[in-house]
Amino acid sequence: MSRPEVIVCAGGGGVGKTTASAALALSLARKGHRVLIVSIDPARRLADAMGVELGTSARALSVDVGRGQLFGLMPDPDDALRTFIEVLFEDEPDSVERLLHNRLYLALEAAVPGIHEIVTMTLTWRASVENDIEVVIIDTAPSRNAIDFITYPKRLAKLLGGRAVGWMAAMGRRTHLGDDNKMGRVEKLLVRALGPAARDVAGLFAEMARVRERFIMLNEHTSELLLHPDTRYFLVASPTAAARDDVDFLIRKLRSLKREARAIFLNSAFVLPRPWIETLQSAEGVSGAFREALADLQREEAVRNAATERISRSFAHKHPELRRLLLPHVEAIEPRAIVHAIADQFAGSAIAALPNPRR
Amino acid sequence: MPTNDAKSVAYAPLAPAVFVTGKGGVGKTTVAAGLALAAAEAEGEAVYVEFGDAAAGRRVLRDRPVGLEHVTLDPAHAVVRAAEPVFGSAALAKLALDNFALRPVIRAAPAIRELGVLELARRVVAEHPGKRVVFDMPATGHSVAWLKVARQGRELFERGPLYEVCSRIERELVSEGMASIVVVTLPERLVLLETLGLCDTLEDEVGLRVDRLIVNRVPAAPPPGILDEVVSLTDGEFAEAAKSFGDLLRIRDTVREQVMHALEDTVARQPNGRDRPLTLLPLATKAPSGAVASAWLTDAGAT
Repeated sequence: MSRPEVIVCAGGGGVGKTTASAALALSLARKGHRVLIVSIDPARRLADAMGVELGTSARALSVDVGRGQLFGLMPDPDDALRTFIEVLFEDEPDSVERLLHNRLYLALEAAVPGIHEIVTMTLTWRASVENDIEVVIIDTAPSRNAIDFITYPKRLAKLLGGRAVGWMAAMGRRTHLGDDNKMGRVEKLLVRALGPAARDVAGLFAEMARVRERFIMLNEHTSELLLHPDTRYFLVASPTAAARDDVDFLIRKLRSLKREARAIFLNSAFVLPRPWIETLQSAEGVSGAFREALADLQREEAVRNAATERISRSFAHKHPELRRLLLPHVEAIEPRAIVHAIADQFAGSAIAALPNPRR
Repeated sequence: MPTNDAKSVAYAPLAPAVFVTGKGGVGKTTVAAGLALAAAEAEGEAVYVEFGDAAAGRRVLRDRPVGLEHVTLDPAHAVVRAAEPVFGSAALAKLALDNFALRPVIRAAPAIRELGVLELARRVVAEHPGKRVVFDMPATGHSVAWLKVARQGRELFERGPLYEVCSRIERELVSEGMASIVVVTLPERLVLLETLGLCDTLEDEVGLRVDRLIVNRVPAAPPPGILDEVVSLTDGEFAEAAKSFGDLLRIRDTVREQVMHALEDTVARQPNGRDRPLTLLPLATKAPSGAVASAWLTDAGAT
């Protein structure tokens, strides 16, 4: 399998990132690509708009895309640790049994930021091999820290690949034997701080040490997807100061990782032409409230355009090298209709275009 | 439909610490700043706390009154600062946290940073006795897990300094009467349903009540009679234009209806007569300043 094109969409909350990612996926699938859309933060919007369901494997979506094909993958964060352990300890039933009695593991089960991202990337890797995927689009969590997940697997690999694991595991054995005399100063400090949980902490590390090689392999898959020099990062904003600050922050963050964003998608930037407003303004015999409602629509539009102008100018000034694509503000009852309307906008732009499909 | 007696629900019975939480992009910062300003106005003094680089606070608190303190906490340094009492002193904490084996653990291990943030939050409240402290919580993709870590830590550690830290956070901060939870959400059916799930989790798993559910950017109902008037235009030269106008009005009406139904469901689903007072804030064409939000939260400005 050749490496798929990987697109990472990041941005602050509430900017329509999931919708924009889905629209981009749809437009690329319509061009004939085999596209996989992956959501890190399970979004009901994706479920509603594209029929993506929670699960550990990718499913073909029943969306009409002509020659291409669209797949969706949306792992459940509540299952993250279980899936992680299943993948990591596939041939080690004894370890799994011990883990299930480790109190630290049980406490972690409820709250494991980071693990979910690794699991999702591992499942993404598997899904793209199984389905011969050409383009992977990753919809990150709606937060400034979303980019952190790119380095998270590396940090965890460093932890497991370093001396820490052996050290912690040894500490566990000494604690278990009550062998305080052999402990170093930091060990004593830590054992005192952790209290009775020290054994569970050390036990967890001992199990992790057993699967170190396997974890490093999983981590390589993740890096191959996220940190490969060809990975494309797109930033999504809406015309608000908060969304602009988030994008500025994410651009700096990417630079600190020696990665460059490709473009900014400015969502909800304009409304599609509504010539009917002027037509209706010439109608006679309508009420004052009717005219006022039409004027309100124009005022809304003027405020939106002014905000877009302001935010666009700021991006042009601060990031002149980054191309910008304005996406429309679409009002519809069905999320699917909104995704389709925005996909049309992507179709007409070269900014997010990819090389021709393989077939 | 819940009534919106904003004066009585918006502000009065909140605990000393107020956590303003919700998904990203829902207007948490505006609401948090609005609550802090309202508290400063009503009580003379208040504290607005944000996590990160102080940019959000500067954006919404442009004309900050003298009585309102703006505190910025850096989550990146939270662990080291919070660890001092765990290890006995700043020097010992540094010794332990700089240890070759522990440093990568701290960098990679889950929940440690959340615990650090909560410990710093507890200290801010302790350092400002008698003042309302409003926390503009970071948007998390992981719902409310961070509020649970103190309880989880206490159950895990059983005794020792980390146990002490966790139980002190629980006792002094994350407990009924000490902290109020304000959840901000948007009037979109999907977002609202996710938020309601979050409220259930908070109440069932963290044991904290949601003291306010604030629905931000609620669109106004269309003026009465407009749709009838549009329909009456569907003959002749204006027919096509009127159809487009009618379609837009109907879309907005349907979206609004969906929201109102979802809101009614929340009220209907209140378990054990527990009350989640609801405040609706209007949709403004421009992002409101903290001062504007403060007026909304204290007056019956939301309709």
